[in-house]
Amino acid sequence: MAILEAIGVGKVYETRGVETQALHGVDLAVEEGEFAALAGPSGSGKTTLLNLLGALDAPSSGEVCLDGDKLSGLGAAALSELRLRKLGFVFQAYNLIPVFSAAENIEFVMQLQGVSAAERRERAEALLAEVELEGLGDKRPLEMSGGQQQRVAVARALASRPRVILADEPTANLDSKTATRLLDLMVGLNANHGTTFLFSSHDPLVLERARRRIWLRDGGIDRIEEGVRA
Amino acid sequence: MTSMLRLAWRNIFRNPRRTGIVVTAVAVGIAGTLLSMAIFYGMMQQMVENAIQTDLGHLQIHARGWDADPEIGLLLEDGGRAEIAALAGAPAVQAFAPRIRGEGLVTSPSASVGVRVLGVDPPREQMLSTVAGSLVEGSYLDAPRRALLGEGLARRLAVEIGDKIVISAQDLSGDMTGEAVRVGGIFRTPLSALDRGTLFLSLEEAGNLFGLGSGVSEIVVLGGERAEIPALQAQLLAALPEREVRRWDELQPLLRYMLDTMDQVAWGLYLTIFIAMSFGIANVLLMAIFERIREIGILLAVGLSRSRLVFMVVSESILVTLVGLGVGFGLAGLCLVALSGGIDLSAFSEGLGAYGMGTRIVPTLGVGDLAIPTVVAVITALLASAWPALRAVRLHPAEAVRHD
Repeated sequence: MAILEAIGVGKVYETRGVETQALHGVDLAVEEGEFAALAGPSGSGKTTLLNLLGALDAPSSGEVCLDGDKLSGLGAAALSELRLRKLGFVFQAYNLIPVFSAAENIEFVMQLQGVSAAERRERAEALLAEVELEGLGDKRPLEMSGGQQQRVAVARALASRPRVILADEPTANLDSKTATRLLDLMVGLNANHGTTFLFSSHDPLVLERARRRIWLRDGGIDRIEEGVRA
Repeated sequence: MTSMLRLAWRNIFRNPRRTGIVVTAVAVGIAGTLLSMAIFYGMMQQMVENAIQTDLGHLQIHARGWDADPEIGLLLEDGGRAEIAALAGAPAVQAFAPRIRGEGLVTSPSASVGVRVLGVDPPREQMLSTVAGSLVEGSYLDAPRRALLGEGLARRLAVEIGDKIVISAQDLSGDMTGEAVRVGGIFRTPLSALDRGTLFLSLEEAGNLFGLGSGVSEIVVLGGERAEIPALQAQLLAALPEREVRRWDELQPLLRYMLDTMDQVAWGLYLTIFIAMSFGIANVLLMAIFERIREIGILLAVGLSRSRLVFMVVSESILVTLVGLGVGFGLAGLCLVALSGGIDLSAFSEGLGAYGMGTRIVPTLGVGDLAIPTVVAVITALLASAWPALRAVRLHPAEAVRHD
């Protein structure tokens, strides 16, 4: 069963009376445990589709389903709850909370979920170890390198134990060595824990690791390459 | 909500200069207002205390009907023996003194002045009135046929210690009567009305002047703390059902009104100051929101609800205001300590005396007086955060996370 599904999804943006069709008639199903990437040139609709699948935006037409549930008609509070419980996000610009330490950034999501302090600490430490940042929990984001920050962002995304992690250009600000290390980490998480990953990227390092590449062009799916990576 | 409070607390220190400006504005505003209020409260308290300690006492016992028409014929018989017996059974009573209260005309070789004549029992009166301690010349009714005058009255009559004056009055039977006495003492109190229009005689001589026999007009009672006076009043009323027992603020309702008005003035003052400040706080919060659009987008993306986001913005507003309030309280406290010896206002003694105030005002502020600014500050902080909070919750997460 698909964990994330787009059914005939379209998105129209309106700026000063001018309508722009960012997506049209997109049908896509993301299966549990997938390691897939939305690929394509700038303006092809990758990020728009990722935002719609991540309940950060609402489609102008069509339907998005998460875990079999339709997102249309859900209020802001229900969507927040859904993002909190079922989705994890990794963004291009790290986007950690600068006034929190690495551990606090990871614990924050768990705190929103109501996880007890002791369990939060334990899980945060385990996640920091998993992203190879043991001992750096007390560091503030500005005291860390870009790669370290992005690994904290991955740990934060994992902290809520989500069904799917959506990563929007996660390697865009990283050098190739750091990007490779981060992606190998994500591949490991996918392989070891079955965490579903859906990327939006045109970075070859991402695309060569994706088991499925969904190529977008002009707001629609151009082609899908299956089974690229073993 | 602990996580949101922690985040709000850290957020307010992200831009120390900007937070510092808001904190300083709130602190200086609140310290200035508190100090002004402390001076006003000090003036009011002094006015009340002066009235109580020179004239009113905490309670006065009169014959029934005195409140409606205080005429000389309404007396407490036998020197107020029954009333004094009732006072003996009230441990809260610290001092009491019988008085005769009448009107008369005092004449010197130079002038005639209408005065209030107070007959007092000197040893008892000295235990509850500060007039005896306010002598500037002479002595306190320690010899027969001596009168005690206020400095203002002595000036109006152009008399000095030892000069002869004649007091004319209407006695109990309605006949005109008079006594010639010498000026035995001159006093100066903060109450210019007392100084300019009151003449003290011994109880016996005042009784003779008005033909009252052993009757007295009133018994003045001094209790302990002002808050305990209503209970003492109720006790005395129960023991003396045929008498009027009235508190200082019933005898002079204007004093009570002025004290009550002070609280309203305080609310008005604090509201005005904080409403002005609220624009500054709102502006700073708005700037902070605009600077953190992407971060707020991330918070929304990871599942922060909009209600929690509002809580965070409101908390930031309240926290920065409370920090300012705390610093303001500290500043005001330091100023009050520095001014604990009082503020010398002798240059305005004439005007202050008309209102029953002394020339040295000690600013007064209780812990309870901090409640009004605290409540007003929190309300202001809530109002100031409304606009920024609205701006924050209207952010669209998909757009906010990509904001530069």
